[in-house]
Amino acid sequence: MIQKQQDDGGNKKVTMKINNQEYNLVIEPHWTLRELIHDKLGLTGTKEMCDKGACGSCTVIMDGRPILSCMALAIECEGREIETVENLEVVGHPLVDAYANNHAMQCGYCTPGFVMTAKALLDKNPNPDEEDIKDALEGNICRCGTYPAHIGAVLEAGRKLEGGKK
Amino acid sequence: MDKQKLGIMEIEPLVRDRYIQDEFSIIGKRGIARMCGKEKAGGRAEYTRDVKLPGMLYCRIMPSPYAHARIKSMSTERAEALPGVRAVLRYDDPELADKPLFGLETKFNAGHLASDGQAFYHGKEELAVTQEQWKQGAGRVLDGVAWWEGHPVGVAVAADTPELAEEALSLIDIEWEELPLVLNPMEALKPGAPLAAAEINNRNNIIRKLKIEHGDVEKGFKEADKVIKFDARRRPYSVADAEPMSDVILWRGDNVEIWAHQQQAYDGKIIFGMKMGIPLNRIKLHVPYQGSQFGGGGNPMMHHTHGVHIISGILSKRTGRPVKTFYNRRDNFYNLSQDADCHTTFKVGFRNDGTITAVKIDNICAKMGQYGIDHFEENTRIPNLALNYLETNINVAPAYWFRCEQNHNALCLSIVFDHVAAELGMDPTLVALKNDGTEGRDMEYLSKFKKEHGFPDRDSLKEAIELGKKAIDWDKKWHLPGTKLLPNGKLHGIGFTWTHEWDDTRGVACAGVLMHCDGTVDILSQKSDDGLNAMTTHCQIVAEEMGLKLEDVNFRFFEEVGFQMMTPDGSCNLAVDAYVTRNAAREAKQKLLEYATTPIKLIDITYPPAFPDNYPDDLDVKDSVVYLKADPCINVPVAEIVKRATLNQGGTRAPLFTWNWHRQGRYGTEKGRHRLTRQAYFAEVEVDPGTGGVEIKKIVNINDVGKAISPETCEGQQYGGDYMGAGRAMAEEMIYDPKTGVKLNANFIDYKVFTMRDVDTTVNLLLETGMGYGPYGLNGIGEDIATVVPGVIGAAIYNAIGEWVDDHPMTPDKVLKAISKANVKRGGLK
Repeated sequence: MIQKQQDDGGNKKVTMKINNQEYNLVIEPHWTLRELIHDKLGLTGTKEMCDKGACGSCTVIMDGRPILSCMALAIECEGREIETVENLEVVGHPLVDAYANNHAMQCGYCTPGFVMTAKALLDKNPNPDEEDIKDALEGNICRCGTYPAHIGAVLEAGRKLEGGKK
Repeated sequence: MDKQKLGIMEIEPLVRDRYIQDEFSIIGKRGIARMCGKEKAGGRAEYTRDVKLPGMLYCRIMPSPYAHARIKSMSTERAEALPGVRAVLRYDDPELADKPLFGLETKFNAGHLASDGQAFYHGKEELAVTQEQWKQGAGRVLDGVAWWEGHPVGVAVAADTPELAEEALSLIDIEWEELPLVLNPMEALKPGAPLAAAEINNRNNIIRKLKIEHGDVEKGFKEADKVIKFDARRRPYSVADAEPMSDVILWRGDNVEIWAHQQQAYDGKIIFGMKMGIPLNRIKLHVPYQGSQFGGGGNPMMHHTHGVHIISGILSKRTGRPVKTFYNRRDNFYNLSQDADCHTTFKVGFRNDGTITAVKIDNICAKMGQYGIDHFEENTRIPNLALNYLETNINVAPAYWFRCEQNHNALCLSIVFDHVAAELGMDPTLVALKNDGTEGRDMEYLSKFKKEHGFPDRDSLKEAIELGKKAIDWDKKWHLPGTKLLPNGKLHGIGFTWTHEWDDTRGVACAGVLMHCDGTVDILSQKSDDGLNAMTTHCQIVAEEMGLKLEDVNFRFFEEVGFQMMTPDGSCNLAVDAYVTRNAAREAKQKLLEYATTPIKLIDITYPPAFPDNYPDDLDVKDSVVYLKADPCINVPVAEIVKRATLNQGGTRAPLFTWNWHRQGRYGTEKGRHRLTRQAYFAEVEVDPGTGGVEIKKIVNINDVGKAISPETCEGQQYGGDYMGAGRAMAEEMIYDPKTGVKLNANFIDYKVFTMRDVDTTVNLLLETGMGYGPYGLNGIGEDIATVVPGVIGAAIYNAIGEWVDDHPMTPDKVLKAISKANVKRGGLK
């Protein structure tokens, strides 16, 4: 639990579920969800790149939807269920291996954002085709330009997921 | 003693593998997963931005609000009074007085900036300022004068939280004296222009001049059937890197630890040690994974490298706490490299058969540019070349390397060749083949050179062109400019360009190979990971050379243990580094086989080896098992061999260690060290004649990599380079307010980086001729594609509309103007 740093300033107690664990937090009103997850809770897979909602590197899944955590205020996340990239290895999600197998990263800094965006897609549609994947990932920036490799990685993960028919 | 036995390579620019292995079990194989892949995809890879130490303070540096201004007075009282602020470092602090950025005392090889002051490559360079001043062009660690908007100046504040550090900056009271500014290199050269940085040059805005001449261009123009003149401009684009800059420094008594986000982290360490008066053996360097920076974050002169280290170091020492100095996204756009603003004039003479007789280039660049002539020297037979290069200072962010220093050189080659082909109505692939060569000499000379020096004698360009033509269906699709209107109402264009390899095989690397008593191996060396998959490729090399399973080799390169590799600094990667892992692995294998055959005597007991009746030459290793060549059924696992060497005393005392050091060449382009492999590029576009919008339908890369250690990694550089190159060609440009010099697009919304939908298809083909100077005959391509692709897209747009858009990026407004011009010339498109 994070200690309240000041008595004033609008700090608020917030309860949320992150990676299936309940957190009771005292949150300063200006913290973004990314700052909370990365800076305060130490879940550093949620990356700061643009800090302006442009790149997708800080994507987490909130209540089933991929969201940009740099554009969400943590104080507004009362009762939310959030999944960060760290959870994928815990649950053995095939995306992690598929990304490594397909070389779908270079420097890797933006990769967790792509992976979480892809996870949200596969949660809804484990059998995406190439266009579905492009539709889902087209908002993420990879400065290394690994874009074509993501298609193969997500297709492979889709095939491995239970229910995948490809 | 025989030098070779010591494992020391000759310092000679022509060192290379004369023997190319035909068959490998691990090198060159597809289907090998990235060893860093799970860490990165699973969010477990640690970057400097993620490092958080107990008690760590956060430091912010003041960005200048003005493009050119001087601090008249500064009060830090209100900031110091803010609870949670632990230290304030002012620009007039006595400890900073002797700590300018970089400086002449740093006499070590920093890429092109060799300490002996010789010119880059060939030619004669004239510095308009002292070399020390030139090297300080990036500014000082903290100064009272700002040369560009966002320049880190005045004050640095360390506080308990990032928010407090930011708030403290807002409480600094500064009285500024605004100074006149100049933003365009052409304006900067006019008489009476404001001085961009009078502290460096108080006479004019010239930083460097260079003149290069080969042959006689005037004679070459006379010999030509036709002479053309034209202008081109390449506007500045930003590195726009992924991970915002930061460092962490922690003093522990007389020792210091650095966490660096830096490609040339060891250079940063050396400069930090010199500036702070700390011996290198008291500095421990940690280099976590690196969010991409493409050289723009690696320059050792820059503020974000050793400048930030010095600020963090002083503040850590004064507070007794670890200090993280961090840039925000805007700071990154301000202070990392952008590529130079270049204004270039060409005069080209050629014969009707496509033979180019003379090229003259007049090139004016802002900050640190590129000459424009280099590729004509290195991979053409054009006998008459002339360059006049002028480098100016202006009040915009620093310009240095950004994948790569050859950007303008490559673009100039593309533009000239494609203009010549267009003037003649010739297939541009034929013009390229007609002029391929080196240093004014033809392919016959090059063929002789290859044979004399033990290289395979293959025509790399011809092979690459054949592959590319087939892949893009060139013979069917190529047409005369502005002549193909598609059923969808768009103009179809197809283009070609070419250049040489990006081997730049020069520099220094060292590494150790250490085998533990369980038979597994660690490669020991520090290397900054920039996404080039060095972790896997070096493990492949060591596993291949030692006969181990790939999973038995690991390379965790994050800690500096006294061994460092080149880290795409100076464009060198595997082409230099792989020599040391390969050589150390070969020596380690020999030691292993000696262990397998040599008895161990301990006082009065002699322990027999695993193969008591054999010699090392009788044995070999495969899949981590040592076996008798004459009878492979007789075999012993590697783990068992080394376990015997430790006499089963338990623990992990490593029984086997070798190391290797390798220095090769100097700049990589020394005279007589001819570039041998070639790269060919094709692109297909559709241009909307109504809007000037360009759709990039296909890019085909054919890269002669000499030998691909990891084909998927090479392909990653190919398609990755396509997106960056296409972005540079079409959209990327730093925009400055013309009156104030304020950057208007220092964020990822307004600065357009290409994304998944911006290129339809890329086709990436690898050619392996074995003609690289690296081990196994390899050469690098990491910088090649992004650097050359703008040229091929320009050629494709010309082919579509029939008019050149030689002003990069080729945004729709410029394309539309060119279409109008073409329409006027031809009386309207059909």
